[in-house]
Amino acid sequence: MGQSVSTAGIPSASNRRDSINPSHRTKNRSMGSISPVQVDVTPELQNVDGTCDYISDLPDECLACIFQSLGSGDRKRCSLVCRRWFRVEGQSRHRLSLKAESDLQPLIPSLFSRFDAVTKLALKCDRRSVSIGDDALLQISLRCRNLTRLKLRACRELTDAGMEAFVKNCKGLKKLSCGSCMFGAKGMNAILDNCSFLEELSVKRLRGITDGAAAKPIGPGVAASSLKIICLKELYNGQCFGPLIAGAKNLRTLKLFRCSGDWDKLLEAIADRVTGLVEVHLERIQVSDIGLAALSSSLDLEILHLVKIPECTNAGLVSIADRCKLLRKLHIDGCKANRIGDEGLIVVAKRCPNLQELVLIGVNPTSLSLGLLAANCQNLERLALCGSDTIGDAEISCIAAKCMALKKLCIKSCPVSDHGMEALASGCPNLVKVKVKKCRAVTCEGADWLRACRGSLAINLDIGEVEHQDASASDGGAQENGVEFPPMVTQIAASDIPSSSSGRSTMFKSRLGLFAGRSLVACTFRRWSSSNSNSQNNY
Amino acid sequence: MASSSSSLPSPSSSSSKKFILRSSDGKHFEVDEAVALQSEMIKQMVEDGFGGDVIPLLNVSSIVLSKVIDYCKKHVELDFKKKMDGDNEAHEEIKNWDSEYINVGVDELYHLIMAANYLHIKGLLDLTCQKVADIIKGKQPEQIRKIFNIENDFTPEEEQEIRKEHSWAFE
Repeated sequence: MGQSVSTAGIPSASNRRDSINPSHRTKNRSMGSISPVQVDVTPELQNVDGTCDYISDLPDECLACIFQSLGSGDRKRCSLVCRRWFRVEGQSRHRLSLKAESDLQPLIPSLFSRFDAVTKLALKCDRRSVSIGDDALLQISLRCRNLTRLKLRACRELTDAGMEAFVKNCKGLKKLSCGSCMFGAKGMNAILDNCSFLEELSVKRLRGITDGAAAKPIGPGVAASSLKIICLKELYNGQCFGPLIAGAKNLRTLKLFRCSGDWDKLLEAIADRVTGLVEVHLERIQVSDIGLAALSSSLDLEILHLVKIPECTNAGLVSIADRCKLLRKLHIDGCKANRIGDEGLIVVAKRCPNLQELVLIGVNPTSLSLGLLAANCQNLERLALCGSDTIGDAEISCIAAKCMALKKLCIKSCPVSDHGMEALASGCPNLVKVKVKKCRAVTCEGADWLRACRGSLAINLDIGEVEHQDASASDGGAQENGVEFPPMVTQIAASDIPSSSSGRSTMFKSRLGLFAGRSLVACTFRRWSSSNSNSQNNY
Repeated sequence: MASSSSSLPSPSSSSSKKFILRSSDGKHFEVDEAVALQSEMIKQMVEDGFGGDVIPLLNVSSIVLSKVIDYCKKHVELDFKKKMDGDNEAHEEIKNWDSEYINVGVDELYHLIMAANYLHIKGLLDLTCQKVADIIKGKQPEQIRKIFNIENDFTPEEEQEIRKEHSWAFE
């Protein structure tokens, strides 16, 4: 293999000559057909000055293929190289993210004739700036009729009328994400009534629907039957999306974060209509066991996150576990309420043999449930135990002895000591990664010893004294550093907020805790689970 | 060099069908069917009934073709291995082999891209284009021009206009 080819010897004349001819750069030179006969000529050496400009002779489609692997910044610089690169870059750009300030408007014609193939557009405005208005959005819609994804951030000047006008031209939208915008139910309904291909809807802080007590219902519209993912965050009147959710027969993912109001009723109302849910995230919303019982009619449920929902108890978890036998990933942040524990987890262990990933934060399970989980859930590969007063060396020993499939284990702020590490040394044959954070009784020696025993095991130990440093680094650096859990300090601060009460002060308070809460579960296993990372914010 | 059917430790070795590829400079290469069919273009030709005798590849010189055949052979071998040994190991091996393989100069890269594009070998096209992208990454327009010897044909006004547009686009 691998005869080395000397650069100078490559016969190149025919390729080079031909590609200077513009007709040769078009798509018809492509694959699948036999090109007309070309007479090959003798090898040509490099340019007189010793450099080469072959790359600049590549056909357009190859150049576009190269640009595809580049991010926006590099693409910008490439488009400044020469006219041809400028043209090819513009024509092959599918994603565009623009500063959506009002001054953008005059540039819209030139920008969108340059980027005439954009299908994924993000329009983001700074909070302090005046955003583009309805007219600009209309102009964009006229030039981007093939838009499949639109993301709007803080485009406060957009009104219902603007959304109505926009959607007339962009009915092919598959994904809409809007945050901190001011339009309301009417604009949202215009989208839902026109976009029959809409698959994903993400709405965060939509101010227009917060007015008045009698909020207009949103949906279902033609989009309801195509929607697969609905994500609502920080909405005062999130409940007005009820008709949409209830009509979304094919919904697979439902995420509700910090939306005020009682969600039990809605979950009950959709129980016999929306039965194909595979993934449900509930975070800091008012849901009780009644809601969970209703949710259990989604027999295909595989992923459930219950984060800081203090009203949910073992009974609720039992009703889910009883019926949703396909459960694969379960995250529970019990915010130390001690309402979910062994009793519920035992039923999970008995009824959900597919469980692969279990994250327990502020939950206090004992060997009773852990032993059963280990014995019955033979696919349990990832386990995180965080802030559990009951997780000591005995519990870790139990895990070590019984969790045969376990690959990754994270223990944080638990009363575990070096003895627990010892137990790990001889247990869990498939373990590849262990993280131990803020477990004061675990010393460097304990970790070193474990390292010595299990050579192939990646061990990440963060002992007490770096606590302060860790706290300061966690906000921004959580993902990058692979820190799976932010420090306990912020966690506790965030968990103090009751999610059951509604109203402005709660929303405000919970926004204070936003950073902590958001990174908490989002970061957990971000790297571990790659299968469903398709959610929002992919621009 | 010319007849380079090799001893592949793969299933398709001895008994399988052979194809003869002719490079633009008239050299013949005998390859296993599985290796030849890595090229979508050749596959299409064979489906259209051209596979009987010599397949002429008018746009690919012998030097480039032998390098391309190296790629196809290795990937047939690794694909087979992947089926046998499971994904992870083979994936690592493919990655390492590819990065070694693509460690070539810009000129050769150009010829490989042209060949991959002409022969429609997607894996090779992706690999080569990624390599060029890696060269470009993080560089200023002036540096890119220098590396690829490209003339700046913008007027200063045009350049300024583009920069102004760029100030509206997020990175």
